[in-house]
Amino acid sequence: MLFNSIHFIVFFLVILASNQALRRWPTAQKLMLLAASYYFYGQWQWHYLLLVWFSTLVDYAIALRLPRTPRPRRLVVLSVLVNLGFLAVFKYANWLIATWNGGVDVIASPAWHITPIDLLLPVGISFYTFQSLSYTIDVYRGVLPPRRNLLDYALAVAFFPQIEAGPIVRAREFLAELDGDQRVDFADVKYALVLIAFGYAKKLVFADNLALVADPVFDHPAGLSFAQTLLGVYAFAFQIYCDFSGYTDIAIGCALLLGIRFPKNFDYPYAAQSIQEFWRRWHMTLSRWLRDYLYIPLGGNRHGDARTYANLMLTMLLGGLWHGAAWTFVVWGGLHGAYLALERAALARVGWWNARNPFATALRVLVTFHLVCLAWIFFRARDVAGAQAVLANLAQPALHAGDLGGVALLLGAMFALQQVGARTHYKERIAASDGPLFAGALAVAMVAMAWFAPTRTAPFIYFQF
Amino acid sequence: MLRRLLVLSAPFALVLAIEALFAAGAWEPLAEPNSHAGTSIRLKRALRDPAVGRIDYVTLGSSRPEYGIDHALLAAEAARRGRTHADLTMPGTHWTSVGVLARWLEREHPEVRGGIVALSVQDLAFAYNGYYELGILQPFRRADDLPWIAARIPFAIHDVASYGVVSALFAWRDDVRAFAAAPAQRRESIAWRDAHADAHHVLFDNPESHGDMCAWGVDSLAACDRLEATSGDGEAALRRQCRELRTRASEAPDFSTGASMATPPEFMSGTRDLVREQLSDMHWPAPPVVILMPMPRIWNEVLGRGQHEWAVAILKPLADAGRIRLVDATDFFDGDADGGCGAFFDFYHSNAQGRERFSRWLLPQLAVMLYQGDAGTPASAHEDPPKP
Repeated sequence: MLFNSIHFIVFFLVILASNQALRRWPTAQKLMLLAASYYFYGQWQWHYLLLVWFSTLVDYAIALRLPRTPRPRRLVVLSVLVNLGFLAVFKYANWLIATWNGGVDVIASPAWHITPIDLLLPVGISFYTFQSLSYTIDVYRGVLPPRRNLLDYALAVAFFPQIEAGPIVRAREFLAELDGDQRVDFADVKYALVLIAFGYAKKLVFADNLALVADPVFDHPAGLSFAQTLLGVYAFAFQIYCDFSGYTDIAIGCALLLGIRFPKNFDYPYAAQSIQEFWRRWHMTLSRWLRDYLYIPLGGNRHGDARTYANLMLTMLLGGLWHGAAWTFVVWGGLHGAYLALERAALARVGWWNARNPFATALRVLVTFHLVCLAWIFFRARDVAGAQAVLANLAQPALHAGDLGGVALLLGAMFALQQVGARTHYKERIAASDGPLFAGALAVAMVAMAWFAPTRTAPFIYFQF
Repeated sequence: MLRRLLVLSAPFALVLAIEALFAAGAWEPLAEPNSHAGTSIRLKRALRDPAVGRIDYVTLGSSRPEYGIDHALLAAEAARRGRTHADLTMPGTHWTSVGVLARWLEREHPEVRGGIVALSVQDLAFAYNGYYELGILQPFRRADDLPWIAARIPFAIHDVASYGVVSALFAWRDDVRAFAAAPAQRRESIAWRDAHADAHHVLFDNPESHGDMCAWGVDSLAACDRLEATSGDGEAALRRQCRELRTRASEAPDFSTGASMATPPEFMSGTRDLVREQLSDMHWPAPPVVILMPMPRIWNEVLGRGQHEWAVAILKPLADAGRIRLVDATDFFDGDADGGCGAFFDFYHSNAQGRERFSRWLLPQLAVMLYQGDAGTPASAHEDPPKP
């Protein structure tokens, strides 16, 4: 079920009313939310619910056993193998097979080919396996006691606002929410409404229309001018931000109305002055996960510069692969790893670069944004050759006065929104207002959706991951 | 508690207020003059122009009668009788927009004595002409027209284009989007419209048309084969029409089979019932004259089997009952030595020559059917005089 469908809106209103009606009976409330979550997920392909159930039961059982076993490491490795095994089979098997087949074409005979597996990628598998893994690892580390109530844990894995595309809420955060006060006060309702309205507006008004500019550039780059290509790349940079952060805003808003507070997932990433800061603002729950469950266990920055750079690179390469089984995602992750390593190695020591004046700040923001855009080319392109074609167009800079208008307008408007947002935190301000600001902002968002949502809206980009 | 409810409902109340403003026509001054809605607005303004005064007779219909009937001739004929006859035809007009415009006329010009409803055989296949018809009728509709419109144009929850049935905000959606995409261009076109807002010209003159189709022919789809072998910009519009014609030909339903069934398929019976109800409910003193406009022979390959007969079958009982006067001129140019090519400037529309020939033939009939009130018996109302 897609957030941007009438089906979801009706579904959510029913769940919201039921949740409110059952608030005096927490177990019944959780059962209803779990059933709703499975219904929500099963609307896509019901038989992949078996995967969710299997993953839930395995990690639940392992976590219960962990404190009592003399060899907990073996059990946590089993949990990792089961979860990553699912990912490997469903997400990476065909990519590995295609890579193998490509290799044997060069060095051996086609007789060595392996037939690809006919499997559909289960929606949200990357998200819920990471959430589930965080549970067993935290229990293993002793930072979270195992949860005896299967209902609580099953809901932590499958809670519908997050299961398909995050945010990646760690089990300990979600369980703490379930244990805490789930009352929703008036301020929460207003903030949730602002998030939901702006989330839909970001998706329908901005992302889906920016896609109309970006898609042709990445789908058919041949013969396009420098300006057309640049416009398409900028459009994609803002499309993916509006698409994914819009989804996240809706998820956070819906969860909040149900009494569950999700962590923030975006914080105006294009206002970042460095790649490191970008990753503190972009898909923050994934960054945290990679930091806590990959980068730090690899040694983080505790074993000298060379090891730190290697850890950064490995973390980002795996972060890239987490998004999808394609070389383009490997390059995307590799570029970010290289950026982070270079930033740490070189730029941190350059005085003028780090100067605290408006010019240097603007320069840092612009350079960071363009480095991110360069990586987005690989993220969005169909394949590496497609990315190269886009880059080839950009390698022949020739801007005509007539071209500048569109590029400048798009870049200026979206950039200004990011900068203003980062400084003013307008969503929080609007939610805090009881007067015309709240009514006006929500009305503008609704009317903008009525007018500017394309006739056919596309699924959220991160559903494919 | 009440205050909280007010705060939470305020955004929705604001949206409803904007919706009401749009329904009341607040966007009309900014609407694109060259769009379907813009044409309706121009017409509405002309009809409200104090200089125009009383309207006695009207011609309603699509672009076929817009180009195919000599409106200046009809206006002169009416003037000779001390009456006025206004041309209210607009491109894209179909049964639903004809109905909404007729309802608007009842409210704003109750003095109208009668009129022509000029469409074509093709227009009797369905009760509406696609969701863009909502743009045509929007400037003329009122809140209480909703049930009438919704009975003809289906609202579909999964199709945003249909939301204009129930909401003015959505009805103006495409126009607002176009405005946002090119505001400067809109400013220029509005300025041009305002400088050329001559109500007399809008209501009583003919549009310009140039050329004929004799280089290509209009008697079969072979003309499209010839056109599609060209690549010049001059023929681009004709090639587009050819694509439309081929699509229509491939999707045309079999009306013969449907009509022979005890209960025709829903789309046929629904259209039949709605058209009959609409024409029966027109409250003009003189029964409306329904004209099936001339179509080039190429349409014989495009229309569904039995479509012409079905169209006449819908209207004939009304004509027999004296509720309408029917003029079936579909094959008016079919006997021409040149296959009719000299009478059309594209595959749909008559040129000035075709317009004059058809109007000269039509005028004596109108003198009987329209201007003299109830002239002729129901049986004779469907007898066409010999063609020139």
